[in-house]
Amino acid sequence: MTDGRSAASNKGMPTVRMVPETIPCECSLKEDVDAGIHLAMDQIIEALTKPLSAEEQSPKRKGKVKPSRVVFNGQLEELNRFFYKRGWGDGLPVLPPTEAAVREMLAGTDLPPEHVVGEIVPRHGKATVEIIAVNAVMAGALPTHMPILIACVEAVTDPLVDLGTFGTSTGSWAPFWIINGPVRNDVHVNCGSGAMSPGDIANAAIGRAMGLIIKNVGGGRKAVEDMGVFGNPGKYSSVIGENEEMSPWEPLHVEQGFARGDSAVTLFFPNSYSQLWQYGSDDMGILSTLIYNLLPGRGGLSCLLITPPQAKTLAKKGWTKSMIQKYVFEFGRVPAYRHRFFYGVAQAHGSVGTVPPNAMDPMAIVPSPDHIRILVTGGPGAFVALVCGAGLPGRQFVTKKLGLPSNWTKLVAKYKNLVPVYEKY
Amino acid sequence: MNIRAGIDQRSTEYEVLSPWADVDPVPLRGINSRPKDLAGKKIGLFLNHKRAGHLSLSAFEKELLERIPSATTSWYECTGHNIPEMLTEGKAKFEAWVGSVDAVVLAVAD
Repeated sequence: MTDGRSAASNKGMPTVRMVPETIPCECSLKEDVDAGIHLAMDQIIEALTKPLSAEEQSPKRKGKVKPSRVVFNGQLEELNRFFYKRGWGDGLPVLPPTEAAVREMLAGTDLPPEHVVGEIVPRHGKATVEIIAVNAVMAGALPTHMPILIACVEAVTDPLVDLGTFGTSTGSWAPFWIINGPVRNDVHVNCGSGAMSPGDIANAAIGRAMGLIIKNVGGGRKAVEDMGVFGNPGKYSSVIGENEEMSPWEPLHVEQGFARGDSAVTLFFPNSYSQLWQYGSDDMGILSTLIYNLLPGRGGLSCLLITPPQAKTLAKKGWTKSMIQKYVFEFGRVPAYRHRFFYGVAQAHGSVGTVPPNAMDPMAIVPSPDHIRILVTGGPGAFVALVCGAGLPGRQFVTKKLGLPSNWTKLVAKYKNLVPVYEKY
Repeated sequence: MNIRAGIDQRSTEYEVLSPWADVDPVPLRGINSRPKDLAGKKIGLFLNHKRAGHLSLSAFEKELLERIPSATTSWYECTGHNIPEMLTEGKAKFEAWVGSVDAVVLAVAD
C-alpha cells in the first residue's frame, strides 16, 4: 500500500482512503481475490461512509521540501555511509560531490547550474543542471559526459517514454540508452566488443549517473514506488553506442529525424536482454534467429542488436533497416496458444478483439514494425541480441539531440587520453 | 602500494553537496465528504487496466449488492494505461460519471 499512498501524495491527495491488500496482487486466482475482498469488505464500506476527519478535509504538508545544498562534511567512508543510509546511492561506493568536483563537472555545459532541465516523476524533483552534475560526480562520470546526461534527462522526462510507468512498474523495466553521432568517439562510448560489459567509463558512468538521477531526483524508492518484482541489473547501466562507421545503413538517430552530424541519445525501457547464436551465416540465418526468438510473453518496443558483419551480409542481399523491421513484425509470430493475449491478458489491457478463434492461428509478437529498431553494434561473432520492452499504447523510442558547450573541443582534448591501456601478456 | 598515502586519503574531509532534488510543493486537496450509509446509493467502480482489477471490483460488487440490495453500481473503464483520466480524451466522460455516483471504489490490483 505504500506505493499507492506515495502516488496519491505526489498528486496532492495524501488522505485518499485506502484499504490494505489482504490478497496477493495481480497474480491472484479468482477464489483468492473473492476471499480477500470478503475479508476487506467491512473496511471498504467503512472507508466509503466514515465521516471525514479535519486532516482528511484539509491535509497539512509534512516533511521538508527544499533540501540543504551542503549536506555532509566528513571522511570518505563516513560520507558513503551517510549517503547509503539515506537511500542516495546504488549500493556501490560513490565519489564525493564536493563543490570543486561539481564545478569541474559543470565545465561540460554552458547552461547555468540553476537551469531546470526537467522534473522527474514520481516525486517531480527538479533536475537542475547542478543536481545532474552532483549525481554525475557521484557516479564517476566525466565533464564530457554532461551533454549526454542533460539529453538523457530530457529523454527520461519526455511523456512518450513514460517513466511514471516504467520507473515504478512491477515489470522491472530498465532504461536502455543508445548513443549516436560524433560524441561517441569524443567520449569513447564502446560500440564494439563487449559494449554492454563493464570496463568503459562512458558506458558505465553515464548509465550509473542516470540511475542515481532517476532515484535521487525522481524519488523512486525501491519497494516503495519502484515495485519491480525481480529488479533488473540493467538499472546499474545499460549504455551502448551504434557502430555507425561499420554500418551499411543510416544510424538510429537519423531514422529518428536528426542529422548524421548531430549527436543524440535514444531511450526506451526494456526489461529483458537475450543473446542468441545465429541459426546461419546468410541473411535468412540471421533473420530466422531474430524472428524465432522474440518473446511471446513480452512483445513491445524491441531493439534488435546485430553486428557489423551481420549487417554487411544483410545489406549485400538488399536488406535495409526498414525492411528488417517489417519482416520481423510480419514473420515474428507464434501460434495463438503461445501468445500472452491468448490467456486473457488482452482483456485486462483493453485489447479485446486481438485473439483469433483457433489456438493454432498465428499471432504477431510485436505490435507493429514501428515498435522495432535495428542497432548495428558489438564485436565480431555469431550472436544477435534482443532487447525487449513493453507494448503499452503510445509509448515510443525517444531521441534527444545533444547540446555541446562552446569549450567542447578543449574539453574533449583534456579527457581524450583517458582510456584503458592493458598490460601486454 | 603506498599505505601511508592510503591512510592520508582516508582522513581527508569532504564537504559535499546534496544529490536530492528540490520540488515545487504540490497543492494539497482533501477528499470528498462521504455518504452516511450506502443504502440507495450509486457506487462507482473505477476499472484500471490491471489484470486483477475486474476480478477485485466484481467480487466487491457482488458482496456489496448482497449486503445492501438497494445500492447500485456504475462501472467506468479508464481510457489510457497509467495516465490520470483527467489527462486523457476520456476527461469529459469521466467527469460526468464521477458526478453521477455517490462514492467510488478503485482496485489498484497490481
